[in-house]
Amino acid sequence: MLKNDTQLEAQWLQRLQQNDEQALAAIMRKYYTALYNYGARFTNDDALVKDCVQEVFISLWQRRENAAAILSPRYYLLRAVKNKVLKSLHQHNSKTSFMEAEDAYDFLQEFSVEKLIIDKQMSEEQATILRKTLSQLSKRQHELIYLKFYQHLDHAQIAGLMNLSRQSVYNLLHETIQKLRNLWQAEIFPPAP
Amino acid sequence: MKDFRLYDISDFVIDEDFIRWVHEQREEDNQFWNTWLQQHPDKHLVIAAARRIVESIQFEQSNIDEQAVEQEVSRLLHTISSQKQELQAAPRKGLVISYKWWYAAAVLLLCTTGAWYFFVRNNSAKPFAYNSMVAAKHLIEHTNTSNKPLELTLPDGSRLTLAAKSRVSYAHTFGLSDTAKAGVTRDVYLLGEAFFEVTKDPHRPFRVFANEIVTKVLGTSFTVRSFEKDTTIQVIVRTGKVSVYAQAEATASAKMSEIILTPNQQLVYERTGQKFQKVLSSNPAMIAPPTIERSMVYDEAPLDKVFSDLSSAFGINIVFDSELLKKCTVTADLTNEPFYRKLDLICGAIDAEYELIDGQVVIESAGCK
Repeated sequence: MLKNDTQLEAQWLQRLQQNDEQALAAIMRKYYTALYNYGARFTNDDALVKDCVQEVFISLWQRRENAAAILSPRYYLLRAVKNKVLKSLHQHNSKTSFMEAEDAYDFLQEFSVEKLIIDKQMSEEQATILRKTLSQLSKRQHELIYLKFYQHLDHAQIAGLMNLSRQSVYNLLHETIQKLRNLWQAEIFPPAP
Repeated sequence: MKDFRLYDISDFVIDEDFIRWVHEQREEDNQFWNTWLQQHPDKHLVIAAARRIVESIQFEQSNIDEQAVEQEVSRLLHTISSQKQELQAAPRKGLVISYKWWYAAAVLLLCTTGAWYFFVRNNSAKPFAYNSMVAAKHLIEHTNTSNKPLELTLPDGSRLTLAAKSRVSYAHTFGLSDTAKAGVTRDVYLLGEAFFEVTKDPHRPFRVFANEIVTKVLGTSFTVRSFEKDTTIQVIVRTGKVSVYAQAEATASAKMSEIILTPNQQLVYERTGQKFQKVLSSNPAMIAPPTIERSMVYDEAPLDKVFSDLSSAFGINIVFDSELLKKCTVTADLTNEPFYRKLDLICGAIDAEYELIDGQVVIESAGCK
């Protein structure tokens, strides 16, 4: 992240602590799309995700006294949204205990291979291989690369969000990237028939 | 500084700067990477491979248009303002909040001011210098010209100990019972150092004016101190709660901030920049009875218990990820150690680090096995 962004965020948090509603609005504007997208990974219920994001910001406002202690608003908000969504999903479906729900959620993620075919002029053949490789990734790996490449979190933050150790995040990430690497290498040096 | 020469494909793929370049194509990134590639032409293949991997990770994003976001923003602001009205409509709730102030028991407050320096340097009086503030007000003034502290009792029963070479003023009507109605304050003007023990009266805030800074309490004890040549104003709270704000010339900056200080927090006001900074005092004092400290011997105790003991003994907020650290335990004897030594011992035991941010302690750790 650019230094200016960090400074700007620190300013927002400072202003938030001083009861400035516009700072809260600015934070929401900046992160809404990211938060909504992340929330929507856990459920198809669009209204539920929106409500959860609202609740997260309301509680941020209620706890604004400590707002300046938030080191990374993005991480703080993503984490809050995930917890909120999983909790309300659990309330809707109380057959499972929350502890279970915490680990047993689905991570709904569609990779957009079609977009690559158009943007990067990938061949249909290549796209098929990529699709296949991606579909072999576990849902944890999906969440991991989503957080890494789309939310730009660092390893410690990903570990916190996914209840993993930093080492597991690193291992899992490398395993995932290795798979993708193999895919491209296989393509550059096609195996002998 | 990262040494990209040592990077392998995988290292590039997970490097934040690299990802940003591929994803966002910012001008400054383009410039950096093109220059770097010119200097390291052998890395073209590696970079190309890494690029392809990052590019192949494309997610289906549900796009939300600006209008929908604005709708959500106004929904949020609406909820907040309706909550506020509820709060005002229900006086009981307001009462609960003001009772928080009653917990304020003792405050140590340190004000370093430079009124004299500024006053002498530019002959035109600064609007918030002591002399300007007390001029044209019918005030009672006490000056301590001796080398020993002088004890005084204010009309409302509050007591203050005025340090050597210090001055304090207050109105004739200060603390009279017929002024005990809403909106009345107990105002004191200070140049120098004083220790205050303020009688509790939540309806009449006690305010100390020290140059550009006003310190407000509703009933606590605290010290205020000034040096002549300092360019900063400092406020240290040992126990209880105080609020500090600037009495600035411009209304915009006057509105700027009212900062709440809790025990062992210190506020530094930079006079030229008109900036506040909240830090922790360098040697925090216990606010709990000393008997608490004797119980701070831990054997395999859960970390959140240890932090919560420490937090309540010193009144300092300790921020940590309870989820991440829930498996951590501490075995240590924390009696008779100063605050930061205690913190070092705990962090050493769980392989964590701490940072002091905005008057709070923030724990950083990867968690325990």
